[in-house]
Amino acid sequence: MRSLILAVTLSLWLICMSFPAIAAEQLSPTGAGISAPVENALGFEDPFAEESANVQVSDPIEPFNRAMFWFNDKLYFYLLKPVARGYRFIVPEPVRISVGNFFSNLGTPVRFANSALQLKVGDAGIELTRFLLNTTFGVAGLFDFAKAQGMREKDEDFGQTLGRYGVGPGFYLVLPVFGPSNPRDAVGRVADYFIDPITSPYYVKLHWYESLALKTYDRVNFLSLDKDTYEGIKEDSLDPYLFIRNAYAQRRAALVAE
Amino acid sequence: MKRMVKLFLPVLCLSLILAMSAGAAVTPTEQVKVEVDHILDLLKDKKIDSASRIEQIDNLIRNRFDFQTMSQWILGINWRKATPEQQNRFVDLFTQLLETTYRGRIEAYVQEYTDEHVKYVGEQVRKGKALVETLVVTKSAEIPINYKLLLETDEWRVYDVVIEKVSLISNYRSTYDEIVRKEGFEGLFNRMEKKIEALKNGADPKEVKP
Repeated sequence: MRSLILAVTLSLWLICMSFPAIAAEQLSPTGAGISAPVENALGFEDPFAEESANVQVSDPIEPFNRAMFWFNDKLYFYLLKPVARGYRFIVPEPVRISVGNFFSNLGTPVRFANSALQLKVGDAGIELTRFLLNTTFGVAGLFDFAKAQGMREKDEDFGQTLGRYGVGPGFYLVLPVFGPSNPRDAVGRVADYFIDPITSPYYVKLHWYESLALKTYDRVNFLSLDKDTYEGIKEDSLDPYLFIRNAYAQRRAALVAE
Repeated sequence: MKRMVKLFLPVLCLSLILAMSAGAAVTPTEQVKVEVDHILDLLKDKKIDSASRIEQIDNLIRNRFDFQTMSQWILGINWRKATPEQQNRFVDLFTQLLETTYRGRIEAYVQEYTDEHVKYVGEQVRKGKALVETLVVTKSAEIPINYKLLLETDEWRVYDVVIEKVSLISNYRSTYDEIVRKEGFEGLFNRMEKKIEALKNGADPKEVKP
């Protein structure tokens, strides 16, 4: 089983490594996933333009992606959101916030490892300190004590680590259940699977159904705190699929850059 | 990412209002503060009846939102390809679309409004344009939202909102560009008109084709 996962990861990696080249050919001669700023009709210049705002995403498997998007949409409306609503009805918000903090605390190894791999020593140090403070003073991570001291969590994952070392995102890929992604970030997910204490077979070593249950609970809890973000996107955008595709690309580009 | 869009549209609405200015002597941040506070008060005030609140917000939107610049920027290359009629039609539709969208957003937002407050963490001014950095603090998250404003004869008006580093205008541009490429301007206008209708009638998001 383990060797199978490693084999899949390696092959995805190899494919992934070739994507910067493929993506670059399709997008622009500059060779990055980010094109030169689109010239405005009036020559309007935005001195605050973010580089990450000019990402252009290639979507060669769009039919597949749209199908996955449709699937995730149904999964959300017919399973996840009803369960989250029911849960929200029963459990008071402070409790749900604490549960969120708890899972966030357990996510420290992933953020710590990836900060370290990116040689972001300061950030790694903060993650470690946050973990120690929140586990002790924050009662097993239920309370984000460290935030009150001014230490903020920073989102880091292996996809970003790969990005930092030059791996381009590649094309747009919508994963069933997990949502918007791309080959690099998908490989990143697999790598983080081995670092995350809830899922890793190297330490803690929960049974697969325990890991699944915890991860699902984490998701449901998160959704219960969410203020109908996805519903809002669907109501307001002309094309939710395109909206999310672009927003995901912008966000990932920004995260890698910071 | 969901955090990012959580307040995407309601905050865009705030941003429409925030650019009201008393004069260029006042800094952009002060302008933002005045307007955001104004809007937050309007939202918090349960005594105002809903129609009057919406009307006040609508007025602010109409006056302060730089639709023209945003439309041109969103269409990008396509703006030049469009005939003047198409350009005007786009600006008109886009204005209606945003107004209708935010009317709905404000209503939803008012019902759910909890104890959120805004921190102003920075301001930069460059070449007649300003960037105001804020943090919207909620119970479960802190969301960085930046406003970009441009100075037009004494008034600062918003031309872009950036939520967790995702630029609204860039997102619109990317979406609309794809639609224009695949379906032409007519296709885009059709979609916009249908969306305006749907928003006015309160469509159920479950039924919206993803």
